[in-house]
Amino acid sequence: MTGLVMTSRPVVSHETPEIGHQKPVSDGFSHTTRCTEAKASELSNLQPSLAALCNEEKTYQSAVVVYAKENIFVQPGIKCKRISGRLSLLKKAVDDVMFLAWLPYALNNTSDSATDDNKFVVISDGGPALSEASSTAESEKRDRTLYAVHPVPISDMRAVRRHTPTIGWHHIIIVLHTGLSLPPLYFTNGGVKDFLTVLKQHTCLVRSPDDPNLYLVNDIADPLQRSMTALDLLEVQNRAGWSESAGGSASLFVRGGKDDLDTPSPRDYSLGVLEHFSRVTKLARDTTAHIFGKDQGLDASTWPCEGEETLIKLNYPPQGMLAVNCADGEDEAPVLRVVQSDDDEAAPCDSDSQSRCDDGESASTSVGSFELLESERIVSSSKRIPSRAQRPFPLSVEEWCAFFEPDGRLADERGFRERAFYGGIDQNVRKEAWKYLLGYMPFNSTVAEREQIREAKKTEYDALKAQWQSISASQEKRFTKFRERRMRIDKDVVRTDRLLPFYAEEDNSNVELLRSILMTYTFYNFDLGYCQGMSDLLSPILYVMEDEVDAFWCFVGLMDVMESNFHRDQNGMHSQLQSLKKLVQLLDPQLHCYLEKMDCLNYFFCYRWVLITFKREFEYSLVLRLWEALWSKHLCEHFHLFVCAAVLQKHRRAIIHGEMEFDTLLRFINDLSGKIDLEVALYDAEMLFQYAGEAGQEVLPTSGP
Amino acid sequence: MSYAYLFKYIIIGDVGVGKSCLLLQFTDKRFQPVHDLTIGVEFGARMITIDNKQIKLQIWDTAGQESFRSITRSYYRGAAGALLVYDITRRETFNTLASWLEDARQHANPNMTIMLIGNKSDLTHRRAVTTEEGAQFARENGLVFMETSAKTAHNVEEAFINTARKIYEKIELGVFDVSNESYGIKVGYGAGGANGGTTVRPGDAQASGKSGCCS
Repeated sequence: MTGLVMTSRPVVSHETPEIGHQKPVSDGFSHTTRCTEAKASELSNLQPSLAALCNEEKTYQSAVVVYAKENIFVQPGIKCKRISGRLSLLKKAVDDVMFLAWLPYALNNTSDSATDDNKFVVISDGGPALSEASSTAESEKRDRTLYAVHPVPISDMRAVRRHTPTIGWHHIIIVLHTGLSLPPLYFTNGGVKDFLTVLKQHTCLVRSPDDPNLYLVNDIADPLQRSMTALDLLEVQNRAGWSESAGGSASLFVRGGKDDLDTPSPRDYSLGVLEHFSRVTKLARDTTAHIFGKDQGLDASTWPCEGEETLIKLNYPPQGMLAVNCADGEDEAPVLRVVQSDDDEAAPCDSDSQSRCDDGESASTSVGSFELLESERIVSSSKRIPSRAQRPFPLSVEEWCAFFEPDGRLADERGFRERAFYGGIDQNVRKEAWKYLLGYMPFNSTVAEREQIREAKKTEYDALKAQWQSISASQEKRFTKFRERRMRIDKDVVRTDRLLPFYAEEDNSNVELLRSILMTYTFYNFDLGYCQGMSDLLSPILYVMEDEVDAFWCFVGLMDVMESNFHRDQNGMHSQLQSLKKLVQLLDPQLHCYLEKMDCLNYFFCYRWVLITFKREFEYSLVLRLWEALWSKHLCEHFHLFVCAAVLQKHRRAIIHGEMEFDTLLRFINDLSGKIDLEVALYDAEMLFQYAGEAGQEVLPTSGP
Repeated sequence: MSYAYLFKYIIIGDVGVGKSCLLLQFTDKRFQPVHDLTIGVEFGARMITIDNKQIKLQIWDTAGQESFRSITRSYYRGAAGALLVYDITRRETFNTLASWLEDARQHANPNMTIMLIGNKSDLTHRRAVTTEEGAQFARENGLVFMETSAKTAHNVEEAFINTARKIYEKIELGVFDVSNESYGIKVGYGAGGANGGTTVRPGDAQASGKSGCCS
């Protein structure tokens, strides 16, 4: 593969491509092509790069042409010669994946040389009419390859806009999820409708409710995922050697600059967004396609890679694109307007460029105006999210010891919390570390102070325990509330995690400890009493602490924040589920609308997740890992709601496509137990958190867990 | 597996009366006293045969704790049958039946078939509610009544299947508009004729799935 490693920032230009300075498009696209129906030998007379490209993709030769239309032309500019070619829809035989392609005819083919314009050609394993190429005009030849639409997976298509002017050629513009739009494809003999009909047979094509000429492809495609993965751009950019000038007056279009891989600024995100917009205006001639190579060329099959989805939603104006792109007689890029980042520095804007930055909320491009989705939220994130692979190992004993000052204070509380959040905590460290996370031991306490605290807490615990233990049989008869509570606790401790060796077998002393701690807690917090779910919360704490007194006080610390989950009026649960609702509404309006339609907005299907913070959804050791991440409060106190949103988001397709109603959704969510990838969920949740920004904070409960 | 009808059941009753154990005994034919306590709701399913028709029972096993009542109420929607369970050894679980019934009447469809179940009939030495009291309550409230033991499996099959039979009779009588799923009945693909399924005596398990599997 070639041309995949970027060593400097691509030049973003909105001018007519200066052919001589641009790499042939096939360099940028060679790794993108997944499919061609042409045999390499048939293409040997074409430009070497294209032939090489096809050679390279021999494995995809067996594709079926389900639609082909001749004499579809591209007009590079108003003064340029049109380039004719064939538009086709291909289906890969292996996995039925659909592709769209437009390949130009060889040079000595004139635009009217092809026949049977209106006929659908259904060929099996056929080849395109690519005949001999003669290299007469070098630039023209370059244009041809430059504008060629090498097979693009249909799944990468975002929308098709149809233009059927009464005067002039009918044409379509295809916009990809990446924000890249393909060059307008002009139908010399009509047939746009037929094309859409065929396309509709092979993909989900819906007419936009706002614009009858706009067809959304795969509209179910996950806007959230796109938004989230757009954050990943940063890594791509950095690895590709992207940088910004350190001084702050960052210029989007400056090459090189100081490498600053470790401390990306918020602007990195906005640069990524800007880059997307600039691509929109540059159509297929954009040589910056290099950066699409997620793995820098190692994974050629994933272009345009999933991680490159953009943060735009299509918001077409009623008028067509011609006014902007071609009919204005200038082959000039349309105005690009981008929301500025929230910093007070100069917007990344280059006077040499013809783009103009403005305080707008949309980006007008050749295909309409793009609204930038909550750009402020993206750029407000000043944090680079470690990828899953980069996540550290659990906090080790050595590291743990290093956190302490000579007098025994844990000075770097923030560092510790961050460490616990990303890596979790080694099992051998948990017993001590959890005491801090659960507020049992203060971070600034010395060894001596902790010993004092321990003593005092032991005395207090013993006194509390003695209260209920001293209730005589005759007193008990007149103490219904006590009897009830004891009966409930007795019933529940014998059915809490009994499959775990720690609590297994008859007459297990740890089960007795569960009982004692819960009984004591109902005397410590008599008004709250006991409620089902508490034994689930206590079980891992006792398992880690292996000590009755320590487990009790850690449990108290946890209940201090989770108490409202168990209030009789369920206010804590309802406020959290409402927050979750608002969070999903914010992050995934489509899913929200769906749930609204299905009358599921009470979010009862997430009840168990929230009540006992996923205790039943993961295997025991993972619950410990999740909980310490949540208790670290590294990002926020309600991070569990982001985890909920992330898991829902992960299954949004199943939910929406499956047309799940309340019942089926509830069963579906229940069945996810044991099937959720925790690290993925944590990672996604953090992405959502970063994405939601302040707007996310605003919908969270004001207190409680 | 195809079925003529799918009935949604809901099991309700106080904490610790044996709701989950009844479900497990019915779906898995085993008694597991250390089964984790139910948070929210758990699901079970089993196929039975009535009148030569395959009927799939999709069973919702709810949490009994009072504070979860508000969420439990949302589960009544679309249930065709309910098993209202109390523990014959604990009178307080019998005393709360009226409030459970009120919930059911208020939140379920009025044609829901309710089976009153006095569970733990094996613990005769600790009995606190007589069989006659249970039967009386059932008569007064128009419920079907049975005493069961999830531990010995006594009457467990009958409880679930008799309920299904009642629902089936209501369908035959045209009480339900089966096309309206709010009655908790779905007409399956195997509805066909009366001879659509293999002949299995009512009460025989045609298929049983693990508790929690309800597809």
